This record gives sequence, C-alpha cells and structure tokens, in this order.
Amino acid sequence: MPKPDPSQNCGSPDHNIHRRKFLQGLSAGTISSMSFAGLFGAPAFAQIAKKKQKHCILLWLCGGPSQFETWDPKPGTTTGGPFKSISTKVPGTHFSELMPKCASIADKLAVIRSMKTTAKEHTEGINLLQRGHAPRPPFTRPTLGSVLAQQLGQLESKIPNFILLDPCPEGNEFKGFKAGNWAGWLGAEYSPVRVGGEFKIPDAHRLDSITEDDHEAREALRKFFSKKYENDRRSAAAGSWNATFERVNGLMSCAHLFDLERIPRADRDRYGSGAFGQHALLARTLVEEGAPFVMVANGMPWDSHVFNHEIYQMVVPDLDNIIFQLTKDLEDRGMLEDTLVIAMGEFGRSPWINQARGRDHFPDAWSLAMTGGGVQGGALVGATDKYGAEVTDNPFNEENLFATIFSALGIDPHAEFNIPGFPTFHHVENKADPIKQILS
Amino acid sequence: MNSPSLKKAKEIKLPSHVLDLTLGKDNQIYAACLDGGIYEVSAKLKLLGEAYKEIARHDNYASGVNWSAARNTLISGSYDGDLKWIDPAEKKETKTVKAHNFWSWQSRLSPGGSLLATTTGQYLCGGYKYEPAPETEPSVKVFDIETGELRHSFPHTPPVQSVAFSNNGKLLAAGNLTGEVILWDLSQNGKEIARIKTPDFTGWGIIKGHYYTGGVFALHFAPDDQSLYLAGMGSTTDPAAGNGKQLWQKFTWKDGVKKEAAAADSEIGEGLMETLAFHPGGKFFIMAGRIFKGDWNAALFDHESGSKLHHQNVGFRISASTFTPDGKTLYLAGGANQGRPSEEKKWGRIVIYEVIS
Repeated sequence: MPKPDPSQNCGSPDHNIHRRKFLQGLSAGTISSMSFAGLFGAPAFAQIAKKKQKHCILLWLCGGPSQFETWDPKPGTTTGGPFKSISTKVPGTHFSELMPKCASIADKLAVIRSMKTTAKEHTEGINLLQRGHAPRPPFTRPTLGSVLAQQLGQLESKIPNFILLDPCPEGNEFKGFKAGNWAGWLGAEYSPVRVGGEFKIPDAHRLDSITEDDHEAREALRKFFSKKYENDRRSAAAGSWNATFERVNGLMSCAHLFDLERIPRADRDRYGSGAFGQHALLARTLVEEGAPFVMVANGMPWDSHVFNHEIYQMVVPDLDNIIFQLTKDLEDRGMLEDTLVIAMGEFGRSPWINQARGRDHFPDAWSLAMTGGGVQGGALVGATDKYGAEVTDNPFNEENLFATIFSALGIDPHAEFNIPGFPTFHHVENKADPIKQILS
Repeated sequence: MNSPSLKKAKEIKLPSHVLDLTLGKDNQIYAACLDGGIYEVSAKLKLLGEAYKEIARHDNYASGVNWSAARNTLISGSYDGDLKWIDPAEKKETKTVKAHNFWSWQSRLSPGGSLLATTTGQYLCGGYKYEPAPETEPSVKVFDIETGELRHSFPHTPPVQSVAFSNNGKLLAAGNLTGEVILWDLSQNGKEIARIKTPDFTGWGIIKGHYYTGGVFALHFAPDDQSLYLAGMGSTTDPAAGNGKQLWQKFTWKDGVKKEAAAADSEIGEGLMETLAFHPGGKFFIMAGRIFKGDWNAALFDHESGSKLHHQNVGFRISASTFTPDGKTLYLAGGANQGRPSEEKKWGRIVIYEVIS
C-alpha cells in the first residue's frame, strides 16, 4: 500500500489549516475567516499553519489502570505485585518493568503520581475525570473532549472536532456513559463522532444516481430552510440538527480517513496488532489531518478485579508500546510540541490483592502520564507512601488536572463559559491551579 | 463407600498468601508464599514464636514447592523464573537453576521424584482480539533433579499455567490460558500423544474489555492414567466479574480426545478453582479455590460418578491442596483478604482437615 501523502486532507482547501486558531495567531480582530480561504490553497503555507494548531489525544484507560504496574511501582513490598521496577532515562525515576519503552523516553513524559480523587465507582469516576468536576444537576458539564472541540476546533471543519475511537462496543458503566450527554451545555455539535471496530461511518458516500451539482443544490436548499427554521424559532434543537447535518456533510468527504486499511502495514505492525493500538495509530493519522481532539478507548479493560497480574502482563506492554510509538511518530513529524497526549483512567487500583487475584478501585492515590505539547518532558510530580496507599507529596485532584490540560493547550483554565440563562461556569471551577511542575 | 467428609483440625497463619505446599519427610509441611519465601511450617501447637520458619527466598512470588524423597531435597519454583534446590535439614539453598525468562507458573515433581516439570509464558497481545502471541521460549521444561540439567523442553501457547505427571511418570500434561492441554509421552522421548482443546475454561471480554482470562489452573491424571482432570473457572464474558462456574472436566484421549465427565451444574457455584488433588485411595478427589457464588470453595467429588460427596466453605481463597499418604489428613493452603497493608498482617493460611471416610 502506498504511503499516504502527508499533505492529504479532506479534499477541501478549507481544511488545509484551522483558520480560527491561525487568525488568532495573526490578529486579535474578529475578521471573518471565510474571506481568507484563498490564502490557504498553497499547500506549503497550509502545512506551516497546520502546525500551529493544538491537538490532544486522550488514551482513555477506562476501568482504572493500576499505578503499581505502570508509573508508580512498589517492588519488594507486600502490595507491589510480581512485577519489578526498572530505571528510566530520567535518573531516579522508575517505572514498572512492563514499560521498558516508556522508560526509554521518560525524558519526554510527564508523570503525576499523586492523583487523589473521590469517586470510587466507575460511573461517578468516568464523569469526574471526563468532565473535570462533580455533577451539579440540572446542569450537565461538557466533557474534556467537547470543551477542547469548542476551543481548538472550528465549526465549519469537515473533519470532526471530537472523535471517539472505541472499538469495543460494550463496557458496562462506560457503555452507559457513552450513550449519555457528552457535550452538556455546549450542545450536540460538540459531541463526539464515534468510530472504530464495529462502528464504521455508514452511508458516507454520495449515491451514483445523484450528481455532484444535484447534491450541492439539495444541500443548499436544506441549509436555507433549516437555518430559517432555527432563526425563526430560536431553536437550540434545530441548531443541533443543523450542526449534525454539517457534520455528516463533512464526514462524506472525510470517511476515507477513518479506514485503517489505508495506513501502511509497517505502521500498523509497529503499533501492535490489538484493537487499542490500531486505533491509537488511527488517532495519530487523524491528528495529522487536523483533528483537534481524538479520544481512544477500548471498553473497560483496566478494571482488573479479577486476575490483575494475569491481565496486566498483557495490557501494560501494549500501552507501553502505544505511548512510545505515538510519541516517536509525533516527534518525527514535528507535531509533538503541538499535540498533548494523555494516558489516564478514572482512578487507580488498590494496593491490596483481593480474593480473586485482582486489585479493586482506588481513587486515594493514583497515577497518570502525559507527553507532548505544553508539558515538561521528564517531569515527575507527587509521591505515595511505601505501599502506595496514601499520597505523601503534592496531592492533585481532577480540577488541578483539567487546569493543567487546558493550560498546556493554551486555553485559559479559568475562563467563563458564556451560556445565557445559566449560572456562571468556568472551564475549571474553584480557581484550581494547574500542576505547574509539569507545564513547560 | 461411605461418603467422605472433612473435619477442621487446625488453621495456621503465614506472612502472605500460600501458592503451593508439599509434605516432606514425616509429613513436614513446606509452603511457597507470595512474598517469595519458602517456609517450614509446624502443625504443632506453639505457645511462643511463629509456626513457620523461612528456609529459602526467591526474588518474586514463590509459586511452587516440591519434595523429592528420592533425593532428600525440596525444589521450589518462582515468578523470578528460578528453581531452587533446598536442603530442608540444613535449611539452606544448595542449587539455583534459571528455568525461564518469565514466571514459573506451576512446578510439579514426577512420582519417582527424579524429574521436575515447570511451565511459563507471558500473555502478550498477538492479534486484534488479543489472542495470545506465540511463545518466545519453550513454555514447558523438565529438569533432572539429580543434576539440575534440562531433560525436555516443549512448545506450547503461553501462558501455560498448569502441569501434571501421570501416576506412572511416563506422561506429562500442560494446560494454558486458552484451554489447550498437550500430552507428551516422556517414555517416547517426549512425543506428543494428544491435544485437548476446550473453550469452557476461558473467558473473552464481550461485556467489558477485550482480552482472554482464565484457563486451565490445575491438572491431575486419574489413578489409572487413562483420563485427565482439568480444573479452573467456567467461561465468563466479563473479565472483571470472576463469576464463571467452579469447574472440573475429565477427558480421555486413547480413542480420540473425548470429554468423559464434568462437574454437574446443580452441584457447583461460581469462582475460580485453583487446585485439584486425588485422595491416596483413588476413589475421590478434592477441588478447591475461590467462592464467588454458592456455598462452597472446597468439595470432594467421586471419581467414578463425578458426584459431589462433601463440601466446605473454608472462608478464604485456596490455591493448593494435598493429602497425607495415609489419606487421613487434608491440607488446604491459600490466603485471606490482604486488606490494608502493614508489615505485621499475616494473611496466608494453611488449614488442616481430618478426612473421615
């Protein structure tokens, strides 16, 4: 299979760059980006501008990954489990022996070992770590992906601003979450487009019986009447439907970008044959094409109440390789400084082994890692006690984490959402500080 | 036959979960524990001091301990991949052999006490649905107890979690994560003679996450060596549930592989079964492990009929079992809940039962 042209895009000159961010960089004015469309026809210019776009890939380790078998090993203790620790490229920092590849690029990773949150169950934890705040009914806070889609993306983009790659259709509590309201008060246009595994983009090709001209004419007519309806009735629902139509229209020109088969075999082999690795690779290619936020999940494989060590001997090396390949590829493409990669779940796992050879949910002291744009490679913050049962240094919660992510991506973490008729909400509430030690 | 039953005689606490135990000279108990220690354990009442004494230590979980009466030595296996020869009288290690680059999941001694089989293999992603990748080293090895030399090595699909010698010492069986058991004839230079494949012990996560769990955790040849018992947990679609059946199945292979018997659904609950041992009389066997649902985690089954004869809820997860040669005593070993960690907590358990039959 031929290697794809790195300048390949959705087919429209509008997609060569992300105009809103580009314009923000050139001018603080409110000039319509549409009038600049012609500027971006030149591929070289578009390529330079594309690099200014910030991106984020969230490797969502749903179920709650064990910190002991990843970033905070405790070898030789009663809680440490059978896996040893290994030294890394950063003197004094050790990872689990299951992560030799990450150990070799530890100078590019930022690790937080002192996450301390409150949610003990999945639904609660997923909501907390996806939205960055505890629920406040009746208001539904948008997820991280939805906020980043709004902040980093552009409405007129044909490639979705929030892509969820999740090849596992199930996932217990995560399945319930997936069926819920991701975008909250931002509206449906900031919900994810879900692709992966059994979830293909259906009917994304124009029928042969309809000419291109006819297709465009129909779309113009639909857009006219829909916008008129939306304006006449001030209908948020109609607005969401219009946004959905726009998205479908965009997907018709981008569907090929979601086809794993188009990616060279050598790349696919490097990422490992498992579904998670394959979709992490797909995330990389989508980011290359301009997607601002891609979340990669795979059900809830990290929920190891049973057979913790027997499962982690497989899933952790898989993750180790995925983080390594993503980091290396983004760096090779000059995109690492503009792309934040986050690997985290909704909590960690208990120090103690239960009767089923597993580890249970543990929000008291857990770890996560980031790499790429906005974070300081080699940073290690926080610490836990000998057994990994308590945070002993620099506890951070979900608000600190979200403030860090927003800051790393150049977004004001304390900016207000402008929602008429709503109380004042902020990207991050309580003026929570970002974790400055890991910001570059 | 009168139905046998069990009467609890004593419970002993050890520093950490007991993964294996064996009986040495004069039925001296030896335990292999999660903390890496190999312990000599006293069943006698002690008013002062501990009931156990460390006699050797591995760098990782100690997964096996075996007594060779013929060589007057203990041989232990571990997740550090090492086998250790231990002189029980001197309470010291006499030899260490690197057996594997990954864990020794299980080790078993041949009936004559001259050979030791050990199994290994890391489960690594080998396909889109997380099928196990091929082995990177032989998954089954057989060592000479006298010299420590490797006598046989056999390929299998990792991880290989269980191994058993036949009662005549000629056959070797090893079972893995995906429910594949290979039988080799050691008297024919290790020729493969049968391959049992069953999906019943393996779960793949449809509900929660995509990977394989379970497998065959215990193997035991029937007294006449004409059939082989497999034990573990029945298939489950939720890898995090641990709610598969408490399962054993019996297979024959002489006229083609055939499932001959299995635990009756009406007599079993749910939970992983980790150990299966025959009573020296050969009439019945014990299967034990964890209880998830039901009313027992250790039960005696009739070899001929497969019927459950007696059951107990021991109160903790069981990983190992053995009868004394006279059949009058049963030892079950495992561990209670580890709970919040501390240096002092002793969560390993050995419970001694009088066998009444």
